Formats: sequence, structure tokens, C-alpha cells
Amino acid sequence: MSSNVSHEFSTAQVVNNVNLGLIVVAQELQVVLWNDWMSRHSGIVREQALQQNIVTLFGGQLTPGFLRGLNNALNYGLPSLLSSALHRSPLPLYVEHDGSKAASRMPQSIIMSVLHSAETGAPSCLIQVSDSSTSVKREKMLMSHSDAFKRDAITDALTGIYNRRFFDENYLLAVRHASRHRSKLSLFMIDIDYFKPYNDRYGHIQGDKTLQLVASTLRAQMRHPLDICARYGGEEFILLSPGLAEEQATGLAERLRSSIAELAIPHETSPTATHVTVSVGVQTWIPDQAGEISSLLKGVDEAMYHAKKLGRNQVVVKK
Amino acid sequence: MNVLSEMEIDALTEVFNVGAGRAALTLSEIIGEEVMLSVPSLKVLNASEVSPAVLAVRDGQFATVSQMFTGPFNAEAVLLFTENYALEIVREMMGSQMSIDDLAEFEQEAMSELGNIILNASLSAMADMLGITLNSSLPHYSISSRQDIADRFAGNGGDGSYILVLHIDLVLQKHHTEGHLIFLLSSTSLNKLIAHVQRYLDTIL
Repeated sequence: MSSNVSHEFSTAQVVNNVNLGLIVVAQELQVVLWNDWMSRHSGIVREQALQQNIVTLFGGQLTPGFLRGLNNALNYGLPSLLSSALHRSPLPLYVEHDGSKAASRMPQSIIMSVLHSAETGAPSCLIQVSDSSTSVKREKMLMSHSDAFKRDAITDALTGIYNRRFFDENYLLAVRHASRHRSKLSLFMIDIDYFKPYNDRYGHIQGDKTLQLVASTLRAQMRHPLDICARYGGEEFILLSPGLAEEQATGLAERLRSSIAELAIPHETSPTATHVTVSVGVQTWIPDQAGEISSLLKGVDEAMYHAKKLGRNQVVVKK
Repeated sequence: MNVLSEMEIDALTEVFNVGAGRAALTLSEIIGEEVMLSVPSLKVLNASEVSPAVLAVRDGQFATVSQMFTGPFNAEAVLLFTENYALEIVREMMGSQMSIDDLAEFEQEAMSELGNIILNASLSAMADMLGITLNSSLPHYSISSRQDIADRFAGNGGDGSYILVLHIDLVLQKHHTEGHLIFLLSSTSLNKLIAHVQRYLDTIL
């Protein structure tokens, strides 16, 4: 019958068409099977490989893990697995040349199992090599996505500085740390003066640009790795800095104010100045002095409003 | 009931500690730091007696790697690790920054390899010391609950089956984890194993 004829394949055809490297290594470590996939990715053709000792064939480049797998199979009849996570690239195999760039070493997953000779029962080792470049790529992509998500969750989308959520979480930690270690903690509240009239006069796109510029300027004033600068609300920013003496904190608050004034961003409708200005409230919690650390946030808020009342573009220190 | 004599238990514990030593060496070589692995205790239970409490496994999810092996005696060898601990170890081995929630196929494959290394080391030590040859299937990885595991041993074995429970201590620089290596075998296979252990004892005593 014709159907019988059309379904006959030689084993060699199948072996050479699978998308997998196949090697069989016999008892004396000689290669007895080497498929086309192996020739393609190793640059060693079948004629060179057959009957060769696999260790010399790869010029001593075999890894300890691969050699242990061979030993387990040939001497103990035990199968092994070499995961690409722990070994990356045990055999010197390369992703195919695409003409333009040099071939790159292929990440692999290897399975070594045992074949028993039908005649003698002697074990040989069947080695299956699969290309894990796609899973390596997918893994890297997932990792970079998860990093990006983590970053997004704590960043203010408009200004690129930390967001309110990040500040709230870290503020609690900083307060706990300061009260436990009896160390100083300074908090700064910064609010752009007459921002609504600014938006009305210059438009929201320009308003956003100004927010971005103010944010990056404030952030640039931070000096210590533990300082945190975040966008607290619409045109309100908050800065946390541990370990400053009161006069140092006052100095920093003044620098924050002047750094914004020096940007000289025109603001025609501001009754305070001809450019964009900020009002700053600051308070430093000092252990063993009057005042609860829990009232720090309320304190700087009041100080900032006090600065507004006094005519804006100034610093008010809450004692 | 005491299926194995104290001397036989000591001999088997020694065999598995030799295996643990081999596995530790292999793991150290892969990770590039010192790994200590030991098998402090071993007990034999009737499969029908198996319950989560008898297995002394804590509640939670387990990563299991199993291999079926055949030879002078047949058994299913299952390695159990608390999932979170196992993944921490694998992550340390891989140097990956991924969170445990992002169980990636990479880690599963690495987990299978970790199990394969420990199982192969135990089986090869057994082969060397007891003078036997074993054949084994490839490692199979799965996640199971404590109850799944107890049911699997109790149900699978039926009457007259035994399980050999080995406690495993795995210490890496930053992590310490405990696991179990469990062999499920029929009473015939257990008797053959005992005969081999007896022969081994005769050669060294």
C-alpha cells in the first residue's frame, strides 16, 4: 500500500532533523553519534567527531559539570541535567552566524541519559542539547520589566523624583530610626508661590515644565545618601534629611529657596516677584528637647503656611 | 516497629553521608562557595503509618524532585524542600535578583538540577559502597502541599510498602535549609536493601 511507503524514514533522517543537539558517547568516551544540529553549532562535522574521544574533540574545554554527568551516566547508570541557569554554556557551541556579526556562544540546557547496548548491556551516554537563548531572553525581559514596575511604583511620573507613596513609607522608617537612635531629623516643606496664577498665565504645558525644573533643582541640593526629595502634592515638595544641626537645616532651607529664585523663571502675575519663587517651612527634631517627633510633619506644614502669610519667597523655621 | 537494626541504620546513615559529601562538593564547585550537606538522621516507616506529622514536615508548599530507580532493588527517591527555602538557595546559586513570586522556568530547571545532584550523589555512594548498579529515570520536578506528599506515600505504597526518611541539612554561606530525602520501596525491595547493607557490614566488621 502506498501509505506504508510514504511513512518510512530512516532513523538518521529523524536524528538529523530534530531541533536539538544529539550526541552518543560510548564507554571509552568515544563519540558514536553526532547529528547535523551539532555539526551546525559546533563547527565540527560528523566525520571529524565520530570515534573521537569527546574530551579531546572539544580540546579540553568541557566543564567539570559536563564531565561529572558523563561519569554518572557511564559508570553509575545515572542520568543528569545541566540547567542553563547554573551552567549557561557548558559546550563550546555557537548561535548560527548571520553574516554580519561574530557568532555568540549559545546558552544551553543539557540532559544526559543512559542507553544500554542491546547486545552487551554496556551503558552509553545520550546527550541532548537544547538552545535556551529564547528562555534566557525572556527571563531577562521579565527581570527588566519587574525592575521597571518597582521603579514606577515609587516615582512621580511628571517630575521623575520620588512620589508621595515612597515618601510616606520612608518617612515612617526615618522617624522610627531617629527616635530609636536619638538622632536628629530635619523636614522641609516647599511650595511654589502663586502657582495657579502661573498656570493660568502660561498654560499647563509650561506649568508642567516648571514643576519638572523645580523638582530637579530641589533634588540637586541634596547632599547625603539618606536624604529623600519627593513630590508631596500638586506644587508641593517635601525633603527629609537626617543628622543635620538646626542651623545647618536652616542653611539648607535657604539654599532651597534661593536655588529656585536663581532659576529666574518669569512669572508676570506673581505679586511677590517677577519670577517663580517658593515658600519653605523647616523643622528639625532634636532628641531630648521639647516637641514630639510625631508632630514634625504638622510643624513644617504650619511653618510653610506661616512663610506664605509673611509674604512668600522666604523660609520659616519652626522651633 | 524496628525494621532495621541499629547497626544497619548506622551503616545506611554512613552511606548517605558519603553521598551528601559528594553532593556538597559538586554544589560548592557550581556556586563557588563552601556548601555543607549532611544527613543527621534516618528512619524507616511503614507506608500505611505515613501522615504529615510522622514525616515531620512543616506546613506549606514543597518543591519536590523525584527519580525512579531500578536495580537490585527498586525505589522512588523523592527530595523535599520547603519551596521558599529551596528557591532562595537556587536564587543564590544563580545570582538572580528576581523575587520568589516570579517563579521562572529557569529556577524550576535549576531546582531539578539541585535535586538531581543530591539524588545522584546519594545513589552513586550507595552503588559504590554496597557494590551494586542502579538505573534511574530523569528528575521530575513538582510543587506539592504537605498533605499531597503524605497522601502520595501512603496511597502509592499500599500495604507492605516502606519509606526510608532521611533528614537533610544544607548550609550555604547565607542560608541554612532543611529538607528530606525519602525513598519509597516495597517490602521485597527493602529486604534486598537490608541484605546488601548486611553484606556491606560483613565486609567492614
